Amino acid sequence: MKPNMSAAAGGQGKAGNRSDTLGPNTEIGRKLKQYYDELVSDDVPDRFADLLKQLEDREEPSLSREPEREGK
Amino acid sequence: MADESTFKQDLLGAIPSLRAFAMSLAQNADKADDLVQETLVKAWDKQASFQMGTNLKAWVFTILRNEFYSQMRKRGREVQDSDGVITARLAVHPAQQGSLDLDDFRAALETLPEDQREAIILIGASGFSYEEAAEICDCAVGTIKSRVSRARSRLQEILNVSGEADYGPDAISAQVMGSNAA
Repeated sequence: MKPNMSAAAGGQGKAGNRSDTLGPNTEIGRKLKQYYDELVSDDVPDRFADLLKQLEDREEPSLSREPEREGK
Repeated sequence: MADESTFKQDLLGAIPSLRAFAMSLAQNADKADDLVQETLVKAWDKQASFQMGTNLKAWVFTILRNEFYSQMRKRGREVQDSDGVITARLAVHPAQQGSLDLDDFRAALETLPEDQREAIILIGASGFSYEEAAEICDCAVGTIKSRVSRARSRLQEILNVSGEADYGPDAISAQVMGSNAA
């Protein structure tokens, strides 16, 4: 009879829609993941941890400054 | 302060993803790491504006993205000519069926306009929802959807892969069918 289009579309849901177009079952989705995961697993240079340490140390003197925003 | 060290730990934890996103945007390791550095400083200075319990990763991605585009605008005025480099990379060798090379994919990704590239990375690789990606990119959800869709079509076109789910090592039957059709 009628092509059951609504069932096909309705069964997807939001997440299903994404995995359908870029999920592990698609070549593009797989490569995208592979490309990105390779970047994520790259060794992080020490400079970033050092930087955060510096930023943290810089804050030390102002540690006594407490938030006094309640009244406002 | 306990909160501050948690914030620092969370920032540290976000660095690998931040670097990956920065690389996806800047396409250059030095520029990417400069972006990450700038982002960490900005995030640290703005930590009072971060709402605990909300998505820190999305928050720092937003900062990094803003930084990227503001640097782009500055650089755009300085060296407009560098655009030619990107155009030159457009010549991507179409992948052999069934064995799409990662380098080919990378090259194809580089040819996408920034807005499409960031959208497909955020949705397809970084694991953000359309809503989160829209917030990071400061645009409508529908805009993200259409950018992702255009990016995907473009990549499929460049890389010569079909839009449908492929079935792994079925390249031979695909070739047979392909020659029948031709």
